[in-house]
Amino acid sequence: MKHAIVIFLLFVALPATVWASDLECTVSPGIIDIGATYNGTSLAIDGQVPEGSQVVVRLVGQAQNVALKQKGKVFGLLWMNMNTLHFANVPSVCLIDASAPLQTLGAAGGSLGLDGLAGKITIDPADADRSMLLPEFLRLKSQEGLYRENAGGVKLGQAKDGRQPFSVRLPVPSRLSPGSYTVEIYAVKDGAVEAQVSQAVEARLTGAPAFLADLAFNHAAWYGVLASIIAILGGLGIGLVFQSKGAH
Amino acid sequence: MTIPMELYLPIAGNSVNIAAVFGLGGAVGLLSGIFGVGGGFLMTPLLIMMGIPPTVAAATDSNQIVGASTSGTLAHLRLGNVDVKMGLLLLIGGVLGGTVGVEIIKMLRAMGNADFLINITYVLMLGLVGGYMFVESLQSMHKAKAPARDVPEKHVKSSAFGRMAASLPWPMDFKRSGVRMSPLLPLLLGVMVGVLSAIMGVGGGFIMVPVMVYLLRMPMHVVVGTSLFQILFTCLNVTVMQSISNHTVDFVLALILLVGSSLGAQVGAKLGKKLHGDQLKILLATLVLVVMFKILYELIARPDVLLASVGGH
Repeated sequence: MKHAIVIFLLFVALPATVWASDLECTVSPGIIDIGATYNGTSLAIDGQVPEGSQVVVRLVGQAQNVALKQKGKVFGLLWMNMNTLHFANVPSVCLIDASAPLQTLGAAGGSLGLDGLAGKITIDPADADRSMLLPEFLRLKSQEGLYRENAGGVKLGQAKDGRQPFSVRLPVPSRLSPGSYTVEIYAVKDGAVEAQVSQAVEARLTGAPAFLADLAFNHAAWYGVLASIIAILGGLGIGLVFQSKGAH
Repeated sequence: MTIPMELYLPIAGNSVNIAAVFGLGGAVGLLSGIFGVGGGFLMTPLLIMMGIPPTVAAATDSNQIVGASTSGTLAHLRLGNVDVKMGLLLLIGGVLGGTVGVEIIKMLRAMGNADFLINITYVLMLGLVGGYMFVESLQSMHKAKAPARDVPEKHVKSSAFGRMAASLPWPMDFKRSGVRMSPLLPLLLGVMVGVLSAIMGVGGGFIMVPVMVYLLRMPMHVVVGTSLFQILFTCLNVTVMQSISNHTVDFVLALILLVGSSLGAQVGAKLGKKLHGDQLKILLATLVLVVMFKILYELIARPDVLLASVGGH
């Protein structure tokens, strides 16, 4: 496992390579099953970082392009959806927790937080007002529960032999789409990322939701007809129940 | 939090509280049974508030209305409140008008400012319909202090509309409604409502009901049954079309809403029978006005977030 991480980091994160073997982590569960009773879950993440460093943990979804409407005033009175804006390089999900407030972690803290993430988003048209739009965008995603920045959730243990254990329970929202996600762990010291490692987490539909999603997306016509028939039968059934009970 | 009451919905991509959804269905179903409106203009915003994406909320709602209006139509059929002939004519007109309306919306979207027009249409239509119904039913309640039950508004004014309606060819009797008119009239009005409801993205019950009451001069109780009958078919069409083209119908969500709303609709139909036509009208007018003010408020108040998701996937 340690070898795999070293090789991975050699390719991906050159500056962190030297310390890579100092950072290890386990994420459980590695697969998030979204079954009928799924109502959000939490990931238990623990591992070890070099002594004296702070830990930032992020769960990041795949980058997407999102089209949004900007609201503006017409006639100085009515709020309306106005022009369409295209946001690119937007992770579907970004949940952040850390062992200390990100503002206290210097430059690295800033770039790992939501503001840092917003800095990497591009907006089309290019002349859009970023300083106004990006905070609004973060607010929209936060309201949907898909973006979150906390501090203090990552607990650091007793350091031993230059290594320091950490653990965190990262709550995952119920509004999670199936797909691949990445857990990223950063060891931050003196305002710089000292080491980092990441691990894939898969979210997949199982049971009844998987069956229904397959029906809806791959057999859409059947699904529509079936939905209608069941609705009619349901309505008729309840109507009949009421008739037999009703004193007519 | 309650323990096993959460259910994950794969199409909506979120989990909901079963009891909350059930209660929402029941409340809207009650109104739908009383007034003969689909309740889409209430249900959809409430579902969005529960965390369901707007496109899924609207499409799922029409699936649920299929069930609720089946149940409601059945109840009203038994009470003799459905004018099938009138309903079919309105339906044919509505489908034609809906097709035209969808094309109009496409054109407007291409030109850019469709949303503005949609919202303004909402406020104007709701304000007009609600305000007129409110004033009119207040007046007729004053006129007849001891009202005879179920009096259709027969005081036909010799308006331009009245003369136009009378001049249309092939007059025929609509027995259930107790009116005589050309079949072209409901057909044309159906087209008009179809256009409007396609533009506004709703079933159109709250426009259709006043049209039947004031322009077709049908008695209120027959209006309610006939409206539900017509809505049933409109929403069947929408459910299948949305499933095929947008994958936005959430079957499970619809089913829970349905059980709630069907029960509500049955109770509503019985409750409606106990109320006088004027009382029904004034209640519906109030409801329509409340929704109108809500939309107006949203137009004027500063939004919480200055960005909004665009419909579709």
